[in-house]
Amino acid sequence: MRPGFLLGEIANGLRRNASMVVSVVLVTMVSLFFLGIGLLAQAQVSTAKGFWYDRVQVSIFLCTPDATEVASCSEGAVTPEQREQIAADLESLDPLVTEYFYESNEEAYERFREQFRNSPVLDSIPQEAIPESYRVNLSDPTRYEVIRAAFEQAPGVESVEDQREVVDKLFTFLGVLSVGALALAVAMVVCAVLLISTTIRLTAWSRRRETAIKRMVGASAFSIHLPFILETVIATVAGAGLAVALLWATVRYGITGFLSELLAGESGLISLVGPRDLWLITPFLVGGALLLAVVTAWLALHRHVRV
Amino acid sequence: MITLENVSLRYAKGDPWALREVDLDVTRGEFCFVVGQSGSGKSSLLRLINLEQEPTGGRVLVAGHDLGELPHRRVHLLRRQIGVVFQDFRLLSGRTVAQNVAYVLQVLGAGRHEIRQRVPETLALVGLQDKGRRLPHELSGGEQQRVAIARAMVNKPPILLADEPTGNLDPDTSSEIVAILDRINRAGTTVVMATHDTTIVDQFRKRVVQLHQGRVVRDQAEGGYREVAL
Repeated sequence: MRPGFLLGEIANGLRRNASMVVSVVLVTMVSLFFLGIGLLAQAQVSTAKGFWYDRVQVSIFLCTPDATEVASCSEGAVTPEQREQIAADLESLDPLVTEYFYESNEEAYERFREQFRNSPVLDSIPQEAIPESYRVNLSDPTRYEVIRAAFEQAPGVESVEDQREVVDKLFTFLGVLSVGALALAVAMVVCAVLLISTTIRLTAWSRRRETAIKRMVGASAFSIHLPFILETVIATVAGAGLAVALLWATVRYGITGFLSELLAGESGLISLVGPRDLWLITPFLVGGALLLAVVTAWLALHRHVRV
Repeated sequence: MITLENVSLRYAKGDPWALREVDLDVTRGEFCFVVGQSGSGKSSLLRLINLEQEPTGGRVLVAGHDLGELPHRRVHLLRRQIGVVFQDFRLLSGRTVAQNVAYVLQVLGAGRHEIRQRVPETLALVGLQDKGRRLPHELSGGEQQRVAIARAMVNKPPILLADEPTGNLDPDTSSEIVAILDRINRAGTTVVMATHDTTIVDQFRKRVVQLHQGRVVRDQAEGGYREVAL
């Protein structure tokens, strides 16, 4: 079969089955979009985890003037001596403590104001209520208990918090989102497979006379199947292209644009997935879709087209 | 060219035999009518030759191929050596006469130059040189059957199978169609035609193979339709 004739056959087939082809394109697009969202959510979890775990791991909040109900704060706000003692203790915990930063009450209050700039509670919280703190990085984040045991009851320390517990809630949410999107993607992929199979069956029926003639005059099984397979591939590639475009728009305008602007005040607190993560998963999305389309089409042809 | 050795066929276990212990040898360049009542096994015989159907028992040899030994992936090579014509023409309704004939060559990968040369040549063979641009529904039944013959012959196969090609046609048109087949046969093509058209068989006086309930009951050179009363 010559390429010109093959292209003509394909164009003819696509035109005659336009509505079915459009449905394959749309179902492929939706299924790959959900698959992409699921994969990007997973990428977000691992990106953010790495980012957070590399940064703030443990916060040692120091006593505020009002925290007298805590035993170690019974003398009121932390004193400069207590603060220095804590810093010295942190130094002595090297190499478990790789780094620590001091955040003053002014810095903490400034960050708090930025974080809650749209909240009505902002004015009701006095600056003294926001604790100064030490932010501690550990060489092994799982050994948080060592830090807690060393500082929880120490004079001038109000509380010790493992920040991972806080961010882990976010990661759990992202994980649920990812699993949900992937489950939807699986359902949509099943739809796509069934739809491709049905489309092939209907196309084979509408072209049964041409197929019978091809068989009769001695066309090989491959050349009879090829136009069907290529039509499916074209519809799938179109669907995959639209899905990638939609994912790109979501990442570009939804995450890199909107979400990162929303979180601008938190700059440095979270790293978001970007177009680069999308380009990394794109070959798998498109390649997987193509493989699935070809295998489904091939199986459907063996079932519905006699050669 | 075509040999059947002790061939039997039934479509499903428990069904009556469509063909029973058939021995037949059609030599190169021969014209052979296969006659018999409806259900006598004529079409089944043609289906075996074209490997549309495998026999339940026996051996079929066509154009040098032992069909029982022919791997599935090589069946299309056998079919390139066989042209087939049906009672219901089976033309592609959206394509012109010339496009219907050219379709075969396109499917088999012929070049544009070859197609431009062979299609008019073959249409001339069946007397339709002026009707290449017509659509099938604009033609009479006889003309549509001529298109079907042109399509079967455009690839110049050495064997032509015709399954009741005159079944939908009036006597005069039937005669014209068989005259075309006869002309094709005289040019060297082996023709096997299944028919129950008494007039045609009596008129052309070719070899007649008569089937009755799947068995060959007569094989006669230059025979008529009813040489033996059944």
